[in-house]
Amino acid sequence: MAKLTPNDFAVFLLAISTILILARLGAEFGKKIGLPIVTAEIAVGVLLGPTLLGNIAPRLYEHLFPFASNPRVSIALDGLFSLAVILLLFVAGLELQLGQVLRQGKTAIYTGFGSMALPFASGFAVSWLAPHWFGIDTSNRFQFSMFLGTAMSISALPVIARILLDLRIFRTRVGMVIIASAILNDLIGWLLFSFILSMGGPEKGLTNIGHTIAYITAFSVFMLVIGRMFLNRILPWVQTNLSWPGGVLSFSLGFCLLCAAFTESIHVHAILGAFIAGIAIGDSVHLREKAREIMHQFVTNFFAPLFFVSIGLKVNFIKNFDPVIVAIVLIVAFAGKVIGASAGARLGGMSRRNAMAVGFGLNARGAVEILLGSLAFDAGLITQPIFVALVIMALVTSITSAPLMLHFLREEREPD
Amino acid sequence: MNTCEPIHRSPHPFGTIGVFVPSSGNLEAILAEAGSLAGVFNARLVLIHSGKKTLKLEAVLDEIRIRSEGRLQDTAIVRLDVVNSRSLLDICREHSVGLLILEAASREGMLRYYFGSLVRNLGRTAQCSLLLLPEPKRASTSFKNIIVRGISNPKTPFTIRTAISFAQHVGASEVTLVTELDQPGLTMATAFAGSADSTAMLKKQIASGEIKKIHAMIKHCQSDGIKIIEEIISGRQGYAIRQFSRKHHADLLVINSPDASYRLIDRVFTHDMEYILEDLPCSVLIVHSAIS
Repeated sequence: MAKLTPNDFAVFLLAISTILILARLGAEFGKKIGLPIVTAEIAVGVLLGPTLLGNIAPRLYEHLFPFASNPRVSIALDGLFSLAVILLLFVAGLELQLGQVLRQGKTAIYTGFGSMALPFASGFAVSWLAPHWFGIDTSNRFQFSMFLGTAMSISALPVIARILLDLRIFRTRVGMVIIASAILNDLIGWLLFSFILSMGGPEKGLTNIGHTIAYITAFSVFMLVIGRMFLNRILPWVQTNLSWPGGVLSFSLGFCLLCAAFTESIHVHAILGAFIAGIAIGDSVHLREKAREIMHQFVTNFFAPLFFVSIGLKVNFIKNFDPVIVAIVLIVAFAGKVIGASAGARLGGMSRRNAMAVGFGLNARGAVEILLGSLAFDAGLITQPIFVALVIMALVTSITSAPLMLHFLREEREPD
Repeated sequence: MNTCEPIHRSPHPFGTIGVFVPSSGNLEAILAEAGSLAGVFNARLVLIHSGKKTLKLEAVLDEIRIRSEGRLQDTAIVRLDVVNSRSLLDICREHSVGLLILEAASREGMLRYYFGSLVRNLGRTAQCSLLLLPEPKRASTSFKNIIVRGISNPKTPFTIRTAISFAQHVGASEVTLVTELDQPGLTMATAFAGSADSTAMLKKQIASGEIKKIHAMIKHCQSDGIKIIEEIISGRQGYAIRQFSRKHHADLLVINSPDASYRLIDRVFTHDMEYILEDLPCSVLIVHSAIS
């Protein structure tokens, strides 16, 4: 068995500790100047990565993050970053309560579908009709168009929830509709993305694509119906009979990795298993709030910094900044999401101003978009300039969401 | 007298009380409960049954009339040829039934629950107010411990008034108004940004916002001597109040009628009232509101 040498292991540990310590310092500094934590962590990655450190001190960069020169450390780090992605998807799933969508009724359904359909159609159409704008190989056009459509239609529940909290509209009708629609966006978006990742190239053929769709549907339906029933029976037992909170944490994380392993083994990406496991566990009324909090803290304070810093380590943001691609992605993202979501909210019976606020609320893509872009980049689906454009789009949409919502909301805010 | 803003209706439109007596039900107990409440509300009692109008039914009704000491005079017996929720509701409409009393198992088998029993389906559509009794008693249930679900909804003030009125009629001295705090997405939002202190502060702020909403809801409701106790609980809506009612040995849980009919998908991805119908913690009064 190939093993890390003591020196490799020291480099591996040094890389992780550097990322964690600097990410924390960056996050604390970011908090002081009003920067979201995720943005600060990505900025740390940009500073530590090829964009800055790799340019001004290439030897130090190579020593800290020897991706090119030491394949063993590179594989170990890559494994850790992949685990981070899986666990981030798991905690994202933990927050998706499907009943919330049903509770908000037709407004949430219309808004949810409106905020997916138009962004998907516009993202797909732009890349299908003008692949040269993105420098994409036309043989891979369908898969890329599907991806860009999905990337445009997804929302970022954690960022949106944070914005609603800050604006004190979390418990209002507008807030609830935004949350419910974001849940729908994320659920459908990740299912679609799992399908895109599993599609492979054009050589895969229609039969295999049919199999992939069947696997994804069967697994999701089974887990969300039968799996949830099983979890509703076993979680109370786990929480009463095993050590608290160790028992439920081991069970939940073990269950997540088991589902991830299963979906990976059937040639559907591991993220689907982790995401659906998160929904199934998080949707259970038997999962104690404290257990949910501990899982979030564990993932967001250890794995999330590793992942978001790794974004900056992967790509040179200056070299790969393409203003045309950034502009196209931003225009399509804003127009598709805001118009689609607002139209859906209007159809669902909301006033014009509230519908616009819903549109800008759902426009925040944040960490989820970056996660999606990173996976697509790792899978070779997109180029570095497109990945950089998606990261910029995620940050811009998240930063502009609150002030634009505020512009349309005057009366909906909760009392101080 | 009572002037809760959004609903302009009498708080207790229980001028006619219907009771459905299925052929296999606990005839004496359910009729005793209905008779007792009809007496308390000075209401007309309509007996809806699915079997033959047996002598036993007449005999039990006579016994209840005697026990009511003159309070229960006006009664009618109606036979249902086809037993389904539509025919039952048609009878209720025909007789202007304000409250329909039904015997309901606390829990139903999985298949029965998912396919939808008559009683549960009536609750899911709730075209008139319904009282679901999991354990009807011949000696009549004592409704002393009444819990009202105080969600943010225009129907809620009317439901609260109805609960207060119900409490007055059945001789209860207080009702507990319970609000559930459920915040999907909050854990993740605060985990990504915020210290434990700021998260606790945030949760406190949200809870205080909810308390303000409850006060706004009940400020126009005269309690008429009934003490209103306010409680805020955390947890999934519907499930949290079900557990609270069970833990506090509630006699009656009063809830709003659903805003839209509940369907199979609402049972698969359970939410709100479906958690209560899934496993009745006590007797449940579903208050049908007509918003003007």
